Amino acid sequence: MDGVARTLPRLAENTKGLGGTDGVFTPYTDYGAIQVPWLRGTLARATSLADASETIEDPDMRLGILRLTGPRLEAAMSGAMLLATWLDFLRLGEVIRQECPFYGVERLFVDLDRVQKRIEPAMTALASMDPEKVQATATAMPGLMGQLTGEFQSIQEGARLAMERGGRVVAAARFLEMITLVSALNGTLPRPPPAAPVTLSMGLVMGSGGVMMGTRIVVTAEWVERMRKLVQAGVISAPVVSAAVRIHAGQVLMSQAKQDLPKGVREALGDSPEVRAMHETGRAGAGMSSAPKHHVLPQEHREWFEKRGFKGEMDIDQFCVRLEQSHHEAIHGGGDWRLGRTWPREWNQLIMRLLKNSERATGRTLTRNEILKTVAENMKFYGIPMQFISGRKR
Amino acid sequence: MTDGRAWQGNWKARLYERVRERGYDSLTAFADARPAVPLAVLAEELGKDDVAGVQLLGGLLAEAEQRKQVTRFVRDVLVRMLSQSVPNGWPAVVDDATRFQIGKALGSWSAYIPDAYQERADQVMASLRTTPPPPGWRPLGPDDALLLTLLPDNEA
Repeated sequence: MDGVARTLPRLAENTKGLGGTDGVFTPYTDYGAIQVPWLRGTLARATSLADASETIEDPDMRLGILRLTGPRLEAAMSGAMLLATWLDFLRLGEVIRQECPFYGVERLFVDLDRVQKRIEPAMTALASMDPEKVQATATAMPGLMGQLTGEFQSIQEGARLAMERGGRVVAAARFLEMITLVSALNGTLPRPPPAAPVTLSMGLVMGSGGVMMGTRIVVTAEWVERMRKLVQAGVISAPVVSAAVRIHAGQVLMSQAKQDLPKGVREALGDSPEVRAMHETGRAGAGMSSAPKHHVLPQEHREWFEKRGFKGEMDIDQFCVRLEQSHHEAIHGGGDWRLGRTWPREWNQLIMRLLKNSERATGRTLTRNEILKTVAENMKFYGIPMQFISGRKR
Repeated sequence: MTDGRAWQGNWKARLYERVRERGYDSLTAFADARPAVPLAVLAEELGKDDVAGVQLLGGLLAEAEQRKQVTRFVRDVLVRMLSQSVPNGWPAVVDDATRFQIGKALGSWSAYIPDAYQERADQVMASLRTTPPPPGWRPLGPDDALLLTLLPDNEA
């Protein structure tokens, strides 16, 4: 998470100053710039949730809150990668405009338009924060990056040819060198025919833990360990991590391993059958299933919770669970679940009465963590799965 | 960790089946054999993943109604809530953290017992506040002497 956070300001800075002075390409640079706020916001929210989760005693509740960061983290990882790629195209365009007058501005404009159309659906899906869309997009990233790499190459090649045709052979060679130097994306680029040294500068997903060497990636033990923990906790999914690794490892690994990472790496990442099975379960509860969402902290009492610190990233919309109809009826007192006639306590009524009475008996306002602790205990007591999904309405 | 399995299938049948497997003919008999054990722990003993505490609680209440022992049930629930929140007994010094633990036990108790007992629950909470029990007080069952004075049986 830190890695992406550190890279963002740099990316934001880089979106400025591109696009020349005539404004023809401004829409394209703007497209990059408008991605920065949501990425930054997403990271900030993921961080604040992760921080909040650390103060919570109940292990299940802590994990439940930490899992909420999952889609955000996945979206931010992939989104930052896409943004970096887009910036690469902008830089490429910039170099071509300056160094390669033989390549028409109109042609470049059309090229960039095509690339943006490729990036846009993925970016939109990621920005939606919809767990399902994020997951699908993040997993499909290697394919998209492959396409983009192809685009990058063909524009680059087109520019080189245009220069050579214009009799600028020496300049063309220098131009290629420049491209490889400016690109942050070189990790995914296959070696260009005139083997220019490919330097890597991408620190996005790897953060400080990942080290790139030459065209090969060296994933440090520390990074693997960090990712493994996240995968095992069900915060992010193994396919998403392997997608990231494949992209960073570049074309070499991608072509060798097709869609999957070598077994050793998968295992190192914690992608064992047990973890996969757990993730499936997690997914069913964590928002991938179609069962309706329900607020654990009753919406009618939103204000009461707000006064006790359930605001912003920790507002009551974060604490939704998916419940099957029968289960829902059971805890909300419908169906034939009632064992005793004098047992009218459906969940909403129970939890509010319980919290308010506890507050009265304690003689003061309860803190957010005390409320979470109490809610966690009673969710278990009611057999409600501690698999939160954000229920925010967009 | 519960994953919602507690509400799948015929959970009432499951509850009684588990109790009978352990040699008891009622939920009450099963619970009585484990005095002052938190309800969540009892539910876990009956089925780690497929029995919810509230199911057991509901069942115990239904049996208490049949036996006309609801007041005893209400005391029993308080005993179990206290043993969960303050397992070492009533604290000698009530600081902010233990104040919450006690408050949570009492608040949970009053929320889980029948409506008909709300007023008496309020009185119990008020008298525990004005006259705190001796430090270390740890009722071991529904027939604890102090509890009986706070909440005597009044059933016909």
